[in-house]
Amino acid sequence: MSDMFFRHRITDMSGLSDESKLSGRAENRIVPLDENELRGALIYLNNRSLPANIVAMRTGVCGGAVPQGGDVIELTNLTGITGVGKDDRGFYIRVRPCTTLDEIDAQLLSGLTDDTPELSDGALSEFRATGPYFYPVDPTETGSSIGGNIATNASGPLTFRYGPTRDWVRAIKIMFADGGYTWINRGAVHADGMRMSFCAGRSFYSFMVPSYDSRTGVKNAAGPLISENMDLIDLFIGSEGIFGVICEAEIYLAPRKRNLALVAFFPGDAEALAAAKGLKAGCGFLEFLEYMDGRSLELLRRVTAGDPAFLGLPAFPEGAGSSLFFDIPADSPLDGIIAILGEHGCSPSHVWCASEPSDAARLRRMRHSIPRTIFEYVASLKGEMPAIHKMGTDMSVPDAAADEMMAFYARRLKEEGLEYVMFGHIGDNHPHVEIILKSVEDFEKSKRLYDEFAAKAVELGGSPSAEHGIGKIKTHYITMLYGDRAAEELRKVKSVLDPNMILCPGNIIGGAR
Amino acid sequence: MRFLVAVKQVPDTGRMSIDADGNLVRSGSAGMLDPYCESALLSALSLRTEGDTVEVFTMGPPQASTTLRRCLEIGADAAYLISDRALAGSDTWATSRALEAFLSRYGCDAALVIFGRQTIDGGTGQVPFQTARLLDVQQFAYVDSVRREGEGFVAVQSYDGLTRTAKVPLGSVVSFGGIDLRGAIPTLQGHLDAQRKEIVEVDRVKLGLGLYSVGIKGSPTRIVRTQPNAPERKNRMVMINNPATAADLLRQEMEGLR
Repeated sequence: MSDMFFRHRITDMSGLSDESKLSGRAENRIVPLDENELRGALIYLNNRSLPANIVAMRTGVCGGAVPQGGDVIELTNLTGITGVGKDDRGFYIRVRPCTTLDEIDAQLLSGLTDDTPELSDGALSEFRATGPYFYPVDPTETGSSIGGNIATNASGPLTFRYGPTRDWVRAIKIMFADGGYTWINRGAVHADGMRMSFCAGRSFYSFMVPSYDSRTGVKNAAGPLISENMDLIDLFIGSEGIFGVICEAEIYLAPRKRNLALVAFFPGDAEALAAAKGLKAGCGFLEFLEYMDGRSLELLRRVTAGDPAFLGLPAFPEGAGSSLFFDIPADSPLDGIIAILGEHGCSPSHVWCASEPSDAARLRRMRHSIPRTIFEYVASLKGEMPAIHKMGTDMSVPDAAADEMMAFYARRLKEEGLEYVMFGHIGDNHPHVEIILKSVEDFEKSKRLYDEFAAKAVELGGSPSAEHGIGKIKTHYITMLYGDRAAEELRKVKSVLDPNMILCPGNIIGGAR
Repeated sequence: MRFLVAVKQVPDTGRMSIDADGNLVRSGSAGMLDPYCESALLSALSLRTEGDTVEVFTMGPPQASTTLRRCLEIGADAAYLISDRALAGSDTWATSRALEAFLSRYGCDAALVIFGRQTIDGGTGQVPFQTARLLDVQQFAYVDSVRREGEGFVAVQSYDGLTRTAKVPLGSVVSFGGIDLRGAIPTLQGHLDAQRKEIVEVDRVKLGLGLYSVGIKGSPTRIVRTQPNAPERKNRMVMINNPATAADLLRQEMEGLR
């Protein structure tokens, strides 16, 4: 093991972006083969006060992995499951940061390899005997890395039932800018009021936690979870790499259930949204509840007209003008669901029903193909309009404000004359509005509108960044959500943990060099 | 009329991988309906008119019933599971023999016996031919479409750009050549209807098959060795800034390949 590493000069900047399509620039690329090389790279850059942009699978949509100068450290070699254990809550696995959710799922389905180290006695054999298990946080992009998920406190459809990434992280191994590292277990270190103190290697850190309270009561991925007496681990989850690098993590698992995946088609959006309310109120067993509006279905119709195999699914039922997508346990009673759907113009023959995992995966791909189509569309415009990036909302509001927020979206989008699709996590009052940009004017208009939506969400008690994080393109929302002093207070914490301010500059608190 | 469709549960390709030793890792997945079989079933369903039935049958372990259940959800009227420990390990010949025994007892009045061209796990494409031979009926392969005509059917077959239209007598074996890239997805109504349909289980004894005519004992094929196909890559990267030099290099390389 050596802390030697290679630093490659970057001559082509085209591969530095992520799914936000924000343009990136960097001088050198470092791809550590292991933790020692990562440590060596951090020490090297820290000693020279050079920016270190930590990058994994580049699936983020807010530019968190897009460098704005300095070096890029790609964690792509740090993959794999390195242990399985069990504690009072249940089974957990230890994973390296660039392991993708797909890889984790495949490993868990296969029962892990025989040489998986046991972190508690008999864990592997018990895991196999009582399985199968799964990791229930499912950002729609399953090619994303677990490290990136933790760094952004990612969530997805299943957050409706299982909560966001934060709820499933047992421990993380953090490496600081100076190369020091430590394991942080949930519950092991708490702030004493507003004073946080802890040791990492030979360093002792002590600082005041920011004065705002980020517990919004809605789905929220805007920075770390800050509160009085907060748990130290929550400072790093959702901090998008500005305080330290996640180089290993332990995540809890849940028993894998047999589910039915259902896509219900309605005559229009009003019926679908009304049915969503009915399902939320009347069916407590839903695993998730997703929305695909009429415009989304039309977008998919247009794409599949040119490429029938694009979705790998039959044509939508006749008269399908909007839809809901939800999973239920296979043994759930269906009568109540059928009644609710029927009240809103959806008969059982207008509901796709997947009991086989391969069919359920096809339905998920359909849902995921909506943002993917938009990403590719925006990427295709970058040649003629380099300044633009994806414009999709990520706002959640409390139940009581859901109707008002939806009406606000519809009214303002109509007034501005923008083309858009709306889809996403209606169960958490968190649909995405993706604006289909046609020109730079549309982009400028969308940016202003996006800020309006964010302000409205905050006014209604919600979050302007419910699941995608803040990255570099939403930094002003930190102020909007937590107040004028929030960014400065986070910067003060960073100045203690990363005195040369080298880690992921530009993320959350701005200030990219 | 009665249409009998052969289907097979195959490993879910989305859940499969190859480990470092070249072994198939099935990731604990229950499997899925083979896409060729699904396409054949959809073709059979499109042939069904009032009074007709489309029935599916498969030979496999008990868990293959989930695939039959899915066929019922898609619209099949009845399903048969040919399952017996003694059938395990059957090669295509022993499989064909078991299917022939099943069809002779349960499907002798079938208007058509329908297969997909092959399945994605085996890929031999031998079973439809062998079953037709054992049944002593005509066999129509690589079929694109079938329509009714008089008392029988007309099939359009495609062989490498050659199209052949043939009269298909009742009782023939037809194997469809393609995959429907859109596939099928059951509806909730289909799911509810399928709950009311029974899967008939058939074992070796009911088929009147001896122990030595099926399974490993009845299979002449012996697999000596399997190995992953790992093609050797011969890529190389050449950095050239001058397009004319690059063109020269490409020309030389292509001449070298002649």
